Amino acid sequence: MLLKAANVSKAFGGFFAVSDASLEVGEGEIVGLIGPNGAGKSTFFNCLAGDFKPTSGRVFFDGHDVTEAAAETHARLGIGRTFQLPAIFEELTVLENVMVGAFLRHPREDDARAAARRVLALTGLERISDQPARSLGTPGRKRLGIARVLATEPRLILLDEALAGLTPTEIHQAIELVRAIHRTGITLVIVEHIMEVILTLAERIVVFNQGRVIAHGRPQEIVNDPAVIAAYLGRSHARRADKP
Amino acid sequence: MARKPIIGWFALAAVLLGFPLVFNGEYYEQLAAFVILSAISASAWNLVGGYAGQVSVGHAVYFGAGAYMPLLFYKLWAASPLLGFPAGIAVSVVIAVVIGVPTFRLSGHYFSMATIAVAELIRIVVSDWDFLGGAIGLMGPATPRGWWDLIWRSSLPYYYIFLAVLGLLLYITHRMERTRLGYYLRAIRANDRAARSLGVPVSRYKLYALMLSAAFTSLAGSLYAAKFGFVDPGSALGILVSVQMVVMAALGGAGRLLGPLLGAVILVPLQTTTNSFFGGQGTGLAFILYGGIIMLLSRYAPGGLIEVWERFQARRDAGTARRSAERNGDARAA
Repeated sequence: MLLKAANVSKAFGGFFAVSDASLEVGEGEIVGLIGPNGAGKSTFFNCLAGDFKPTSGRVFFDGHDVTEAAAETHARLGIGRTFQLPAIFEELTVLENVMVGAFLRHPREDDARAAARRVLALTGLERISDQPARSLGTPGRKRLGIARVLATEPRLILLDEALAGLTPTEIHQAIELVRAIHRTGITLVIVEHIMEVILTLAERIVVFNQGRVIAHGRPQEIVNDPAVIAAYLGRSHARRADKP
Repeated sequence: MARKPIIGWFALAAVLLGFPLVFNGEYYEQLAAFVILSAISASAWNLVGGYAGQVSVGHAVYFGAGAYMPLLFYKLWAASPLLGFPAGIAVSVVIAVVIGVPTFRLSGHYFSMATIAVAELIRIVVSDWDFLGGAIGLMGPATPRGWWDLIWRSSLPYYYIFLAVLGLLLYITHRMERTRLGYYLRAIRANDRAARSLGVPVSRYKLYALMLSAAFTSLAGSLYAAKFGFVDPGSALGILVSVQMVVMAALGGAGRLLGPLLGAVILVPLQTTTNSFFGGQGTGLAFILYGGIIMLLSRYAPGGLIEVWERFQARRDAGTARRSAERNGDARAA
Protein backbone atom coordinates (compact mmCIF):
# COMPACT_ATOMS: atom_id res chain seq x y z
CA MET A 1 0.00 0.00 0.00
CA LEU A 2 1.28 3.42 -0.93
CA LEU A 3 -1.03 5.36 1.35
CA LYS A 4 -2.79 3.98 4.36
CA ALA A 5 -5.03 5.85 6.79
CA ALA A 6 -6.06 3.80 9.80
CA ASN A 7 -9.03 4.87 11.95
CA VAL A 8 -8.43 8.58 11.48
CA SER A 9 -10.57 10.95 13.53
CA LYS A 10 -10.43 14.73 13.66
CA ALA A 11 -12.34 16.76 16.22
CA PHE A 12 -12.80 20.52 16.34
CA GLY A 13 -13.70 21.15 19.97
CA GLY A 14 -16.36 18.54 20.69
CA PHE A 15 -17.41 18.12 17.07
CA PHE A 16 -15.99 15.21 15.13
CA ALA A 17 -15.63 16.31 11.50
CA VAL A 18 -14.11 12.93 10.71
CA SER A 19 -14.57 9.86 12.84
CA ASP A 20 -12.82 6.56 12.46
CA ALA A 21 -12.15 6.81 8.73
CA SER A 22 -9.83 4.33 7.06
CA LEU A 23 -8.49 4.29 3.52
CA GLU A 24 -5.95 2.29 1.59
CA VAL A 25 -4.56 3.37 -1.76
CA GLY A 26 -2.29 1.15 -3.83
CA GLU A 27 0.45 2.39 -6.14
CA GLY A 28 -0.97 3.48 -9.51
CA GLU A 29 -4.62 3.64 -8.39
CA ILE A 30 -7.14 6.43 -8.83
CA VAL A 31 -9.35 6.61 -5.78
CA GLY A 32 -12.31 8.95 -5.46
CA LEU A 33 -13.44 10.53 -2.23
CA ILE A 34 -17.02 11.71 -2.42
CA GLY A 35 -19.79 12.84 -0.15
CA PRO A 36 -22.28 15.68 0.23
CA ASN A 37 -21.15 19.12 1.44
CA GLY A 38 -19.91 19.03 5.02
CA ALA A 39 -19.41 15.28 4.97
CA GLY A 40 -15.86 15.63 6.28
CA LYS A 41 -14.03 14.68 3.11
CA SER A 42 -12.03 17.90 3.01
CA THR A 43 -11.04 17.54 6.65
CA PHE A 44 -9.99 13.95 6.04
CA PHE A 45 -8.10 15.10 2.97
CA ASN A 46 -6.25 17.74 5.01
CA CYS A 47 -5.29 15.06 7.53
CA LEU A 48 -3.76 13.05 4.68
CA ALA A 49 -1.90 16.11 3.34
CA GLY A 50 -0.45 17.05 6.71
CA ASP A 51 -2.36 20.31 7.06
CA PHE A 52 -4.28 18.94 10.05
CA LYS A 53 -2.99 16.57 12.70
CA PRO A 54 -5.58 13.85 13.30
CA THR A 55 -7.04 13.70 16.81
CA SER A 56 -6.56 9.94 16.70
CA GLY A 57 -5.57 7.29 14.18
CA ARG A 58 -2.45 7.02 12.02
CA VAL A 59 -1.50 7.87 8.44
CA PHE A 60 1.25 5.94 6.64
CA PHE A 61 2.87 6.76 3.33
CA ASP A 62 5.11 4.17 1.72
CA GLY A 63 5.79 2.65 5.13
CA HIS A 64 6.57 5.96 6.87
CA ASP A 65 4.32 7.15 9.67
CA VAL A 66 3.42 10.67 8.51
CA THR A 67 0.65 11.33 11.04
CA GLU A 68 2.60 14.04 12.87
CA ALA A 69 4.74 15.20 9.93
CA ALA A 70 4.49 18.79 8.69
CA ALA A 71 2.97 19.63 5.30
CA GLU A 72 6.40 20.34 3.80
CA THR A 73 7.63 16.90 4.89
CA HIS A 74 4.71 15.34 3.05
CA ALA A 75 5.81 17.13 -0.10
CA ARG A 76 9.37 15.94 0.35
CA LEU A 77 8.25 12.32 0.80
CA GLY A 78 6.23 12.52 -2.41
CA ILE A 79 2.68 13.47 -1.40
CA GLY A 80 1.46 16.44 -3.42
CA ARG A 81 -1.81 18.26 -3.02
CA THR A 82 -3.92 20.90 -4.71
CA PHE A 83 -6.29 23.32 -3.03
CA GLN A 84 -10.02 23.64 -3.51
CA LEU A 85 -9.58 27.38 -4.08
CA PRO A 86 -6.37 27.31 -6.12
CA ALA A 87 -3.93 29.07 -3.78
CA ILE A 88 -1.63 30.24 -6.56
CA PHE A 89 1.12 32.82 -5.99
CA GLU A 90 -0.63 35.83 -7.52
CA GLU A 91 2.39 38.12 -7.91
CA LEU A 92 4.55 35.48 -9.59
CA THR A 93 4.37 34.49 -13.24
CA VAL A 94 2.98 31.12 -14.29
CA LEU A 95 6.50 29.80 -14.85
CA GLU A 96 7.71 31.09 -11.47
CA ASN A 97 4.74 29.46 -9.72
CA VAL A 98 5.77 26.11 -11.15
CA MET A 99 9.44 26.76 -10.41
CA VAL A 100 8.66 27.09 -6.70
CA GLY A 101 7.47 23.49 -6.87
CA ALA A 102 10.40 22.39 -9.02
CA PHE A 103 12.97 23.77 -6.55
CA LEU A 104 12.09 20.91 -4.20
CA ARG A 105 14.03 18.43 -6.35
CA HIS A 106 16.19 20.88 -8.32
CA PRO A 107 18.02 23.32 -6.05
CA ARG A 108 19.66 25.24 -8.93
CA GLU A 109 17.64 27.89 -10.76
CA ASP A 110 18.45 26.67 -14.29
CA ASP A 111 17.51 23.08 -13.45
CA ALA A 112 14.33 24.21 -11.73
CA ARG A 113 13.37 26.32 -14.75
CA ALA A 114 13.99 23.45 -17.15
CA ALA A 115 11.94 21.08 -14.99
CA ALA A 116 9.16 23.66 -14.73
CA ARG A 117 9.06 24.07 -18.51
CA ARG A 118 8.64 20.31 -18.97
CA VAL A 119 5.66 20.41 -16.58
CA LEU A 120 4.19 23.43 -18.38
CA ALA A 121 4.38 21.52 -21.65
CA LEU A 122 2.61 18.52 -20.14
CA THR A 123 -0.15 20.66 -18.63
CA GLY A 124 -0.60 22.84 -21.71
CA LEU A 125 0.41 26.08 -20.00
CA GLU A 126 3.59 26.80 -21.95
CA ARG A 127 2.00 29.51 -24.09
CA ILE A 128 1.16 31.62 -21.05
CA SER A 129 4.25 30.82 -19.01
CA ASP A 130 5.35 34.45 -18.70
CA GLN A 131 1.95 35.85 -17.76
CA PRO A 132 1.39 36.93 -14.17
CA ALA A 133 -0.59 34.24 -12.38
CA ARG A 134 -3.15 36.81 -11.23
CA SER A 135 -4.32 37.22 -14.82
CA LEU A 136 -5.59 33.62 -14.99
CA GLY A 137 -9.25 32.63 -14.76
CA THR A 138 -10.61 29.66 -12.83
CA PRO A 139 -9.64 26.89 -15.31
CA GLY A 140 -6.13 28.33 -15.67
CA ARG A 141 -5.74 28.59 -11.93
CA LYS A 142 -6.82 24.99 -11.37
CA ARG A 143 -4.45 23.86 -14.08
CA LEU A 144 -1.61 25.90 -12.60
CA GLY A 145 -2.33 24.39 -9.17
CA ILE A 146 -1.91 20.95 -10.70
CA ALA A 147 1.21 21.95 -12.67
CA ARG A 148 2.81 23.37 -9.55
CA VAL A 149 2.34 20.19 -7.57
CA LEU A 150 3.49 18.05 -10.51
CA ALA A 151 6.75 19.98 -10.44
CA THR A 152 7.49 18.61 -6.97
CA GLU A 153 7.67 15.19 -8.68
CA PRO A 154 5.23 13.45 -6.34
CA ARG A 155 4.30 9.78 -6.25
CA LEU A 156 0.81 10.57 -5.01
CA ILE A 157 -1.32 13.64 -5.70
CA LEU A 158 -4.32 14.58 -3.60
CA LEU A 159 -6.65 16.58 -5.85
CA ASP A 160 -9.12 18.74 -3.94
CA GLU A 161 -12.13 19.55 -6.15
CA ALA A 162 -9.96 20.13 -9.18
CA LEU A 163 -13.06 20.27 -11.39
CA ALA A 164 -15.49 22.36 -9.37
CA GLY A 165 -16.48 25.60 -11.03
CA LEU A 166 -15.55 24.49 -14.56
CA THR A 167 -17.77 24.40 -17.62
CA PRO A 168 -18.48 21.01 -19.27
CA THR A 169 -15.80 21.60 -21.94
CA GLU A 170 -13.27 22.61 -19.32
CA ILE A 171 -14.20 19.57 -17.24
CA HIS A 172 -13.55 17.38 -20.25
CA GLN A 173 -10.10 18.94 -20.73
CA ALA A 174 -9.34 18.62 -17.03
CA ILE A 175 -10.28 14.93 -17.09
CA GLU A 176 -7.88 14.41 -19.98
CA LEU A 177 -5.15 16.12 -17.94
CA VAL A 178 -5.84 13.92 -14.92
CA ARG A 179 -5.65 10.83 -17.14
CA ALA A 180 -2.36 12.04 -18.64
CA ILE A 181 -0.93 12.52 -15.16
CA HIS A 182 -2.08 9.05 -14.16
CA ARG A 183 -0.38 7.58 -17.21
CA THR A 184 2.96 8.93 -15.98
CA GLY A 185 2.62 6.54 -13.04
CA ILE A 186 1.35 8.93 -10.40
CA THR A 187 -1.23 7.66 -7.92
CA LEU A 188 -4.25 9.90 -7.43
CA VAL A 189 -6.77 10.55 -4.70
CA ILE A 190 -9.55 12.81 -5.94
CA VAL A 191 -12.06 14.65 -3.80
CA GLU A 192 -15.13 15.66 -5.75
CA HIS A 193 -18.73 16.25 -5.15
CA ILE A 194 -19.66 16.01 -8.84
CA MET A 195 -20.64 12.33 -9.00
CA GLU A 196 -20.59 12.00 -12.78
CA VAL A 197 -16.96 13.08 -12.98
CA ILE A 198 -15.69 10.78 -10.32
CA LEU A 199 -17.54 7.79 -11.78
CA THR A 200 -15.68 8.12 -15.07
CA LEU A 201 -12.28 8.63 -13.46
CA ALA A 202 -11.96 6.58 -10.32
CA GLU A 203 -11.36 2.87 -10.10
CA ARG A 204 -12.45 2.81 -6.50
CA ILE A 205 -14.64 5.19 -4.53
CA VAL A 206 -14.96 5.98 -0.85
CA VAL A 207 -18.14 7.73 0.24
CA PHE A 208 -18.27 10.02 3.26
CA ASN A 209 -21.31 11.20 5.15
CA GLN A 210 -21.41 13.04 8.46
CA GLY A 211 -17.77 12.33 9.14
CA ARG A 212 -17.94 8.59 8.51
CA VAL A 213 -17.11 6.31 5.64
CA ILE A 214 -20.51 4.92 4.66
CA ALA A 215 -19.49 2.93 1.59
CA HIS A 216 -16.56 1.98 -0.56
CA GLY A 217 -16.23 -0.03 -3.71
CA ARG A 218 -16.27 0.14 -7.50
CA PRO A 219 -18.26 2.95 -9.13
CA GLN A 220 -21.14 0.63 -10.17
CA GLU A 221 -21.46 -0.73 -6.65
CA ILE A 222 -21.46 2.77 -5.21
CA VAL A 223 -24.25 4.18 -7.36
CA ASN A 224 -26.55 1.35 -6.37
CA ASP A 225 -25.70 1.45 -2.67
CA PRO A 226 -28.82 2.48 -0.72
CA ALA A 227 -26.77 4.25 1.95
CA VAL A 228 -25.11 6.41 -0.70
CA ILE A 229 -28.41 7.24 -2.36
CA ALA A 230 -29.86 8.16 1.00
CA ALA A 231 -26.91 10.42 1.78
CA TYR A 232 -27.16 12.24 -1.54
CA LEU A 233 -30.89 12.29 -2.20
CA GLY A 234 -32.52 11.69 1.15
CA ARG A 235 -34.17 8.62 2.64
CA SER A 236 -37.34 8.64 0.60
CA HIS A 237 -35.35 8.21 -2.60
CA ALA A 238 -33.40 5.38 -1.03
CA ARG A 239 -36.60 3.54 -0.13
CA ARG A 240 -37.90 4.03 -3.64
CA ALA A 241 -34.63 2.62 -4.98
CA ASP A 242 -34.97 -0.37 -2.65
CA LYS A 243 -38.34 -1.51 -3.99
CA PRO A 244 -38.52 -0.66 -7.65
CA MET B 1 15.51 50.79 -17.91
CA ALA B 2 13.70 47.51 -18.16
CA ARG B 3 14.66 47.28 -21.82
CA LYS B 4 18.38 47.96 -21.47
CA PRO B 5 19.14 46.96 -17.89
CA ILE B 6 22.94 47.25 -18.22
CA ILE B 7 22.77 50.87 -19.32
CA GLY B 8 20.34 51.59 -16.50
CA TRP B 9 22.71 50.13 -13.94
CA PHE B 10 25.67 52.11 -15.26
CA ALA B 11 23.62 55.30 -15.23
CA LEU B 12 22.51 54.70 -11.65
CA ALA B 13 26.08 53.96 -10.53
CA ALA B 14 27.36 57.08 -12.32
CA VAL B 15 24.75 59.30 -10.67
CA LEU B 16 25.49 57.91 -7.21
CA LEU B 17 29.27 58.04 -7.62
CA GLY B 18 29.26 61.50 -9.15
CA PHE B 19 26.64 63.19 -6.99
CA PRO B 20 29.02 64.71 -4.41
CA LEU B 21 31.32 65.93 -7.17
CA VAL B 22 28.51 68.00 -8.63
CA PHE B 23 26.74 69.06 -5.44
CA ASN B 24 29.67 69.76 -3.18
CA GLY B 25 29.68 71.44 0.16
CA GLU B 26 29.17 69.84 3.57
CA TYR B 27 25.38 70.21 3.56
CA TYR B 28 24.87 68.16 0.40
CA GLU B 29 27.60 65.67 1.27
CA GLN B 30 26.13 64.97 4.70
CA LEU B 31 22.65 64.72 3.23
CA ALA B 32 23.84 62.32 0.53
CA ALA B 33 25.66 60.17 3.07
CA PHE B 34 22.53 59.99 5.16
CA VAL B 35 20.41 59.06 2.15
CA ILE B 36 22.71 56.13 1.38
CA LEU B 37 22.89 55.03 5.02
CA SER B 38 19.08 55.04 5.23
CA ALA B 39 18.94 53.13 1.96
CA ILE B 40 21.21 50.45 3.46
CA SER B 41 19.00 49.86 6.48
CA ALA B 42 15.79 50.01 4.43
CA SER B 43 17.26 47.59 1.84
CA ALA B 44 18.30 45.26 4.66
CA TRP B 45 14.77 45.44 6.08
CA ASN B 46 13.46 44.72 2.58
CA LEU B 47 14.94 41.20 2.64
CA VAL B 48 12.54 40.02 5.32
CA GLY B 49 9.86 42.74 5.24
CA GLY B 50 9.64 43.03 1.46
CA TYR B 51 10.71 39.80 -0.21
CA ALA B 52 9.45 37.47 2.52
CA GLY B 53 6.51 39.78 3.37
CA GLN B 54 7.11 39.59 7.12
CA VAL B 55 6.58 43.20 8.16
CA SER B 56 8.91 43.68 11.10
CA VAL B 57 8.51 47.00 12.91
CA GLY B 58 11.27 46.12 15.34
CA HIS B 59 14.36 46.33 13.20
CA ALA B 60 15.73 49.08 15.44
CA VAL B 61 16.92 46.21 17.64
CA TYR B 62 19.42 45.11 14.99
CA PHE B 63 20.31 48.68 14.05
CA GLY B 64 20.85 49.42 17.75
CA ALA B 65 23.01 46.34 18.31
CA GLY B 66 25.14 47.40 15.38
CA ALA B 67 25.35 50.99 16.62
CA TYR B 68 26.13 50.19 20.25
CA MET B 69 28.73 47.49 19.71
CA PRO B 70 31.56 49.58 18.13
CA LEU B 71 31.20 52.29 20.76
CA LEU B 72 31.04 49.70 23.53
CA PHE B 73 34.30 48.22 22.25
CA TYR B 74 35.81 51.71 22.42
CA LYS B 75 34.45 52.36 25.91
CA LEU B 76 35.67 49.03 27.33
CA TRP B 77 39.02 48.56 25.63
CA ALA B 78 39.60 51.79 23.70
CA ALA B 79 39.48 49.54 20.64
CA SER B 80 38.86 50.68 17.10
CA PRO B 81 35.13 50.93 16.42
CA LEU B 82 35.82 48.78 13.40
CA LEU B 83 36.30 45.76 15.69
CA GLY B 84 32.76 46.26 16.96
CA PHE B 85 31.29 45.82 13.45
CA PRO B 86 31.51 42.00 13.33
CA ALA B 87 30.53 41.81 17.00
CA GLY B 88 27.39 43.80 16.21
CA ILE B 89 26.56 41.50 13.33
CA ALA B 90 27.06 38.42 15.51
CA VAL B 91 24.87 39.83 18.29
CA SER B 92 22.18 40.82 15.78
CA VAL B 93 22.06 37.40 14.16
CA VAL B 94 21.73 35.76 17.58
CA ILE B 95 18.94 38.20 18.51
CA ALA B 96 17.28 37.50 15.15
CA VAL B 97 17.13 33.78 15.93
CA VAL B 98 15.92 34.36 19.49
CA ILE B 99 13.20 36.78 18.35
CA GLY B 100 12.41 35.05 15.05
CA VAL B 101 11.69 31.56 16.29
CA PRO B 102 8.76 32.55 18.53
CA THR B 103 7.43 35.56 16.57
CA PHE B 104 7.35 33.81 13.19
CA ARG B 105 4.63 31.60 14.63
CA LEU B 106 2.46 34.70 14.34
CA SER B 107 1.33 36.12 11.06
CA GLY B 108 0.28 39.45 9.59
CA HIS B 109 -0.39 42.25 12.05
CA TYR B 110 0.22 40.03 15.04
CA PHE B 111 3.78 39.44 13.90
CA SER B 112 4.32 43.19 13.41
CA MET B 113 2.94 43.99 16.85
CA ALA B 114 5.14 41.37 18.48
CA THR B 115 8.23 42.89 16.86
CA ILE B 116 7.25 46.36 18.13
CA ALA B 117 6.81 44.99 21.63
CA VAL B 118 10.20 43.25 21.68
CA ALA B 119 11.98 46.32 20.28
CA GLU B 120 10.39 48.70 22.78
CA LEU B 121 11.21 46.31 25.61
CA ILE B 122 14.85 46.24 24.59
CA ARG B 123 14.96 50.04 24.25
CA ILE B 124 13.61 50.44 27.79
CA VAL B 125 16.06 47.89 29.21
CA VAL B 126 19.02 49.58 27.50
CA SER B 127 17.86 53.00 28.76
CA ASP B 128 18.24 51.71 32.32
CA TRP B 129 21.46 49.78 31.80
CA ASP B 130 24.53 51.72 32.91
CA PHE B 131 26.86 49.27 31.19
CA LEU B 132 25.50 50.59 27.89
CA GLY B 133 25.45 54.20 29.08
CA GLY B 134 21.81 54.22 30.18
CA ALA B 135 19.69 57.05 28.86
CA ILE B 136 22.81 59.12 28.01
CA GLY B 137 24.29 56.60 25.62
CA LEU B 138 27.84 55.96 24.44
CA MET B 139 30.52 58.11 22.81
CA GLY B 140 33.21 57.20 20.33
CA PRO B 141 36.75 58.57 20.18
CA ALA B 142 36.76 62.38 20.02
CA THR B 143 39.80 62.68 17.76
CA PRO B 144 41.02 60.08 15.29
CA ARG B 145 44.01 57.96 16.35
CA GLY B 146 44.34 56.51 12.88
CA TRP B 147 42.21 55.74 9.83
CA TRP B 148 40.87 52.70 11.68
CA ASP B 149 38.89 54.98 13.99
CA LEU B 150 36.84 55.91 10.92
CA ILE B 151 36.74 59.58 11.83
CA TRP B 152 36.87 62.20 9.13
CA ARG B 153 35.86 65.82 9.23
CA SER B 154 34.23 65.62 5.81
CA SER B 155 31.20 63.47 5.01
CA LEU B 156 32.68 62.45 1.71
CA PRO B 157 34.65 59.36 2.87
CA TYR B 158 31.55 58.14 4.70
CA TYR B 159 29.47 58.66 1.60
CA TYR B 160 31.70 56.39 -0.47
CA ILE B 161 31.99 53.76 2.29
CA PHE B 162 28.20 53.71 2.64
CA LEU B 163 27.85 53.51 -1.11
CA ALA B 164 30.18 50.50 -1.25
CA VAL B 165 28.17 48.71 1.44
CA LEU B 166 24.90 49.55 -0.31
CA GLY B 167 26.36 48.24 -3.57
CA LEU B 168 27.37 44.99 -1.87
CA LEU B 169 23.95 44.60 -0.25
CA LEU B 170 22.06 45.26 -3.49
CA TYR B 171 24.35 42.88 -5.35
CA ILE B 172 23.70 40.12 -2.80
CA THR B 173 19.97 40.85 -2.94
CA HIS B 174 20.01 40.75 -6.72
CA ARG B 175 21.80 37.41 -6.66
CA MET B 176 19.38 36.12 -4.05
CA GLU B 177 16.42 36.93 -6.30
CA ARG B 178 17.73 34.30 -8.69
CA THR B 179 18.20 31.50 -6.17
CA ARG B 180 15.91 29.07 -4.46
CA LEU B 181 15.91 31.34 -1.39
CA GLY B 182 14.58 34.25 -3.46
CA TYR B 183 11.77 32.25 -5.05
CA TYR B 184 10.84 30.63 -1.75
CA LEU B 185 10.63 33.99 0.02
CA ARG B 186 8.30 35.40 -2.63
CA ALA B 187 6.19 32.24 -2.44
CA ILE B 188 5.97 32.58 1.34
CA ARG B 189 4.91 36.20 0.96
CA ALA B 190 2.24 35.26 -1.58
CA ASN B 191 0.76 32.29 0.26
CA ASP B 192 2.60 30.46 3.00
CA ARG B 193 0.17 27.54 3.19
CA ALA B 194 0.54 26.81 -0.51
CA ALA B 195 4.32 27.21 -0.22
CA ARG B 196 4.37 24.64 2.57
CA SER B 197 2.37 22.20 0.44
CA LEU B 198 5.11 22.43 -2.21
CA GLY B 199 7.78 21.43 0.29
CA VAL B 200 8.98 24.90 1.28
CA PRO B 201 10.24 24.81 4.90
CA VAL B 202 8.51 28.10 5.64
CA SER B 203 9.77 28.79 9.16
CA ARG B 204 13.36 27.98 8.25
CA TYR B 205 13.40 30.23 5.21
CA LYS B 206 11.79 33.11 7.08
CA LEU B 207 14.56 32.74 9.62
CA TYR B 208 17.27 32.74 6.94
CA ALA B 209 15.83 35.97 5.56
CA LEU B 210 15.67 37.55 9.01
CA MET B 211 19.26 36.57 9.82
CA LEU B 212 20.58 38.07 6.59
CA SER B 213 18.42 41.14 7.10
CA ALA B 214 19.57 41.57 10.72
CA ALA B 215 23.23 41.28 9.72
CA PHE B 216 22.98 44.14 7.22
CA THR B 217 20.74 46.26 9.44
CA SER B 218 23.40 45.89 12.11
CA LEU B 219 26.07 46.96 9.65
CA ALA B 220 24.02 50.08 8.91
CA GLY B 221 23.88 50.76 12.66
CA SER B 222 27.66 50.37 12.99
CA LEU B 223 28.24 52.77 10.11
CA TYR B 224 25.88 55.24 11.73
CA ALA B 225 27.82 55.02 15.01
CA ALA B 226 31.13 55.43 13.19
CA LYS B 227 29.94 58.57 11.42
CA PHE B 228 28.18 60.28 14.32
CA GLY B 229 30.43 58.98 17.11
CA PHE B 230 27.51 58.85 19.49
CA VAL B 231 24.47 56.67 20.20
CA ASP B 232 21.64 56.82 22.70
CA PRO B 233 18.52 54.66 23.08
CA GLY B 234 16.33 57.12 21.21
CA SER B 235 18.49 57.54 18.12
CA ALA B 236 19.51 53.89 17.73
CA LEU B 237 16.70 51.86 19.28
CA GLY B 238 13.65 54.13 19.03
CA ILE B 239 10.56 53.03 17.17
CA LEU B 240 11.13 55.81 14.64
CA VAL B 241 14.25 53.96 13.47
CA SER B 242 12.15 50.88 12.69
CA VAL B 243 9.27 52.83 11.17
CA GLN B 244 11.64 54.75 8.92
CA MET B 245 12.91 51.50 7.35
CA VAL B 246 9.37 50.28 6.76
CA VAL B 247 8.14 53.55 5.25
CA MET B 248 11.14 54.01 2.96
CA ALA B 249 10.93 50.49 1.59
CA ALA B 250 7.15 50.69 1.19
CA LEU B 251 7.29 54.10 -0.49
CA GLY B 252 9.71 52.95 -3.17
CA GLY B 253 8.40 49.41 -3.38
CA ALA B 254 8.74 46.62 -0.82
CA GLY B 255 10.15 43.44 -2.30
CA ARG B 256 11.75 45.41 -5.14
CA LEU B 257 15.53 45.62 -5.43
CA LEU B 258 15.66 49.42 -5.75
CA GLY B 259 12.48 50.26 -3.83
CA PRO B 260 14.18 51.17 -0.54
CA LEU B 261 16.83 53.30 -2.29
CA LEU B 262 14.11 55.24 -4.11
CA GLY B 263 12.23 55.68 -0.83
CA ALA B 264 15.36 56.97 0.89
CA VAL B 265 16.15 59.38 -1.94
CA ILE B 266 12.70 60.93 -1.55
CA LEU B 267 12.19 60.79 2.20
CA VAL B 268 15.55 61.72 3.70
CA PRO B 269 15.84 65.15 2.01
CA LEU B 270 12.19 65.83 2.86
CA GLN B 271 12.84 64.96 6.47
CA THR B 272 16.03 67.00 6.68
CA THR B 273 14.31 70.04 5.23
CA THR B 274 11.40 69.87 7.62
CA ASN B 275 13.78 69.33 10.53
CA SER B 276 15.92 72.34 9.70
CA PHE B 277 12.81 74.42 8.95
CA PHE B 278 11.26 73.73 12.33
CA GLY B 279 14.55 73.63 14.23
CA GLY B 280 14.72 71.33 17.24
CA GLN B 281 10.95 71.03 17.38
CA GLY B 282 10.82 69.10 14.12
CA THR B 283 11.24 65.53 15.38
CA GLY B 284 7.55 65.02 16.11
CA LEU B 285 6.79 66.08 12.58
CA ALA B 286 8.50 62.98 11.18
CA PHE B 287 5.82 60.82 12.82
CA ILE B 288 3.07 62.86 11.17
CA LEU B 289 4.85 62.66 7.83
CA TYR B 290 5.30 58.88 8.10
CA GLY B 291 1.71 58.41 9.20
CA GLY B 292 0.49 60.40 6.22
CA ILE B 293 2.68 58.46 3.80
CA ILE B 294 1.54 55.12 5.21
CA MET B 295 -2.10 56.13 4.75
CA LEU B 296 -1.62 57.39 1.20
CA LEU B 297 0.39 54.31 0.21
CA SER B 298 -2.03 51.76 1.60
CA ARG B 299 -4.93 53.57 -0.06
CA TYR B 300 -3.49 54.35 -3.49
CA ALA B 301 -0.26 52.44 -4.08
CA PRO B 302 0.32 49.43 -1.83
CA GLY B 303 3.00 48.27 -4.26
CA GLY B 304 5.00 51.49 -3.91
CA LEU B 305 6.17 54.05 -6.45
CA ILE B 306 8.03 51.55 -8.65
CA GLU B 307 4.76 49.71 -9.24
CA VAL B 308 2.95 52.98 -9.99
CA TRP B 309 5.63 53.76 -12.57
CA GLU B 310 5.37 50.29 -14.13
CA ARG B 311 1.60 50.53 -14.35
CA PHE B 312 1.93 53.94 -15.99
CA GLN B 313 4.47 52.57 -18.46
CA ALA B 314 2.36 49.51 -19.28
CA ARG B 315 -0.62 51.75 -20.05
CA ARG B 316 1.55 53.98 -22.24
CA ASP B 317 2.96 50.97 -24.11
CA ALA B 318 -0.53 49.60 -24.64
CA GLY B 319 -1.60 53.02 -25.94
CA THR B 320 1.33 53.18 -28.36
CA ALA B 321 0.64 49.67 -29.62
CA ARG B 322 -3.03 50.48 -30.16
CA ARG B 323 -2.27 53.71 -31.97
CA SER B 324 0.26 52.06 -34.29
CA ALA B 325 -2.22 49.24 -34.95
CA GLU B 326 -4.86 51.83 -35.85
CA ARG B 327 -2.42 53.58 -38.14
CA ASN B 328 -1.61 50.34 -39.92
CA GLY B 329 -5.30 49.58 -40.20
CA ASP B 330 -5.93 53.04 -41.71
CA ALA B 331 -3.11 52.53 -44.17
CA ARG B 332 -4.57 49.24 -45.31
CA ALA B 333 -8.07 50.68 -45.54
CA ALA B 334 -6.80 53.57 -47.63
